[in-house]
Amino acid sequence: MTNNAPLLILEDISFSYPGSRQPVLNSLDFRLGGNQRVGLIGPNGQGKTTFLHVCLGLLPLQSGRVLFKGTQIRTKHDLRQLRRNIGLVFQNPEDQLFCPTVLEDVAFGPLNLGFTPAQARERAAEVLDVVGLSGFEKRITHKLSGGEKKLLSLATILAMQPRALLLDEPTAGLDPDTREKVIRIIKNLNLGLLIVSHDWDFLYQTTAELKTLEQGKLINRDRNVLHQHVHYHPSGHVPHEHETGRQAVVGGR
Amino acid sequence: MTVIKETFSEGSSLLHRTDPRLKLVSAFLLACVTAVLTTIPGALSSLIGALCLLFLSGLLLLQVLKRLLLVNAFIGMMWLFLPFTTPGNPLFSQFGLILTREGIELALLVTLKSNAILLFMITLISTTPTVTLGQALDALHVPEKLNFLLLISYRYLEVIFQEYNRLAIAARVRGFVPGTSPRTYRTYGYLLAMVLVNSFDRAQRVYQAMLLRGFQGRFYALHEFHISFTDWVIAVFMITLAILIFLADKLLPVFYTA
Amino acid sequence: MHISEGLLSPPILVTGAVLCLCGTAYGLKKMDAAEVPTTGILTAAFFVASLIHVPIGPASIHLLLIGLIGLLLGWSCFPAMLVALFLQALFFQYGGLTVLGVNTVNMALPALLVYFLFSPLIRHKHYRVNTLGGFLAGSLAILGSGVLTSLSLALSGEPFVRAAQFILLAHLPLMFIEGFITAVVISFIKKVRPEILHRSSATELGLE
Repeated sequence: MTNNAPLLILEDISFSYPGSRQPVLNSLDFRLGGNQRVGLIGPNGQGKTTFLHVCLGLLPLQSGRVLFKGTQIRTKHDLRQLRRNIGLVFQNPEDQLFCPTVLEDVAFGPLNLGFTPAQARERAAEVLDVVGLSGFEKRITHKLSGGEKKLLSLATILAMQPRALLLDEPTAGLDPDTREKVIRIIKNLNLGLLIVSHDWDFLYQTTAELKTLEQGKLINRDRNVLHQHVHYHPSGHVPHEHETGRQAVVGGR
Repeated sequence: MTVIKETFSEGSSLLHRTDPRLKLVSAFLLACVTAVLTTIPGALSSLIGALCLLFLSGLLLLQVLKRLLLVNAFIGMMWLFLPFTTPGNPLFSQFGLILTREGIELALLVTLKSNAILLFMITLISTTPTVTLGQALDALHVPEKLNFLLLISYRYLEVIFQEYNRLAIAARVRGFVPGTSPRTYRTYGYLLAMVLVNSFDRAQRVYQAMLLRGFQGRFYALHEFHISFTDWVIAVFMITLAILIFLADKLLPVFYTA
Repeated sequence: MHISEGLLSPPILVTGAVLCLCGTAYGLKKMDAAEVPTTGILTAAFFVASLIHVPIGPASIHLLLIGLIGLLLGWSCFPAMLVALFLQALFFQYGGLTVLGVNTVNMALPALLVYFLFSPLIRHKHYRVNTLGGFLAGSLAILGSGVLTSLSLALSGEPFVRAAQFILLAHLPLMFIEGFITAVVISFIKKVRPEILHRSSATELGLE
């Protein structure tokens, strides 16, 4: 039972940026369970990243509430619990990897959680193994390749042992090899997932539900649209109808 | 194109393998002793000591000399002044300028001291990669906030430099040719302002990333340093060298002037 | 301008080191944890700026942006300058180890003064006042730095006085360029992202 209780609940969330009248999130509701895998798709500028940041209290709420395992987030301590249990992987690894070496970057989270240096090293070795970066401990972070940085940023979050992961455009700018690696890693995770992406095929492979963010609200979509799109994709560069009846984008990724 | 080539940190010589904490402390000790020298024999022995370290560091002589030449510009400027502005025995005079023996000696003294200290820095500090240096500073109890500041600046130097480069190239492909004009300076101003705004935004995201990983105001460094027997020998060597330089400064001039 | 190793007298070196330690310690104490990444990344940005050579007549000079650093960082300019100068000594051997304190003070002290004097102008609601504030901050910070640099040299001994005067003169053209560029940068930031100039110490927008 506990595993199915929603980890994260957002109720009636509204948010708009200062100076803008159009709300980015408009009394939005969302819940994410410990083994739910949700994909979120939609055009740029619709507030998907804002939504992820609101989930983890990086932006102030104008209304509504965020609950972690049924408890409303009110204090710094609640917020720390929330962030410890729900990890967010940024779109740009340069923003996420701020430590000089790979080891120190992966160990940063565990050390903040009160691990001893020895335990933090052990944890680092485990998650580096999960993302296929074993033996990279002493490498200088900023000298890694783009793909390695992406995998490492995933590792730094996994090192916190979260119960759910929020991923912001995890395949943006990756070469096909690294993309396959990311898919394999994510498929093997036994965690709640919320993935924001433009990569239809990626979402089809890694998630079980599909939502879009429209006019500040989350809308459930038929997941088959992803599947259909994958099928239709080779058939041309012209706008085409999907079975759900929605007009899809002009072909080509 | 990279902004920082830590050329001197690459190598496997004795000095490259020496404990970085020991090297830092030694560099500081030797630099301080050299900075207070007042005689040419003293400064000369310091330079000789520094050259010994250069030999031990296995660095390419040509590379080091090239670097020294570049950073001697300030000292070069001193040669234009000191020989004429120091009172003493005139050697030569023309156009109202008096060249004095004391002046030349002073210019020589500062040149020797300056280059000796530069060599100590190159051989003892620049032979450590910056990341390891940060760990050594932490082990030497430099405040963790200051150390983190150092490491995070180092971390983003390259990123920001590339950002600036992209902007500068974008300006150039649109026909920007730098010259001595308000327009040039304004363009540089825009480029810089853009870099600063981007850096500021990046800093916000980095801070968010830190919070998401449980940051509570403490910065940790992970390191393991082990002092080996060789390190002890080198430590003794460094202290002896410092004492010898100090003594040379005090004792040698007696023979020198005699 | 960085003073090289080997020139300054021990009393000047020690004074510089002590002032630098005090300034840095106070700057670090005032900097809360949220400001550390901002200060660090802006330090990197200023390091990059110092690599930019702008043409002046047939020659070129590199920017220092001392005034801008002061305006953006306030008391944090001490640790920021110390870090930037240490990295420059490490990578390029500019400046040095025993003169690190003096060089830091020679740049951070004017930056700090400019921060106290001109911050109100920068925060003023009139655009022209901001630009003027930027120009004054940029140019006077260079003048201040020139004065301090010459002073540290001149006080190290009679023979250095002439060279010190020359160095002060050499700062004058830089004054105008830095003043101009600082004014441009300030008015740009004021238009694009005014909150950078108005920020208080708390930077997180979160629930706490």
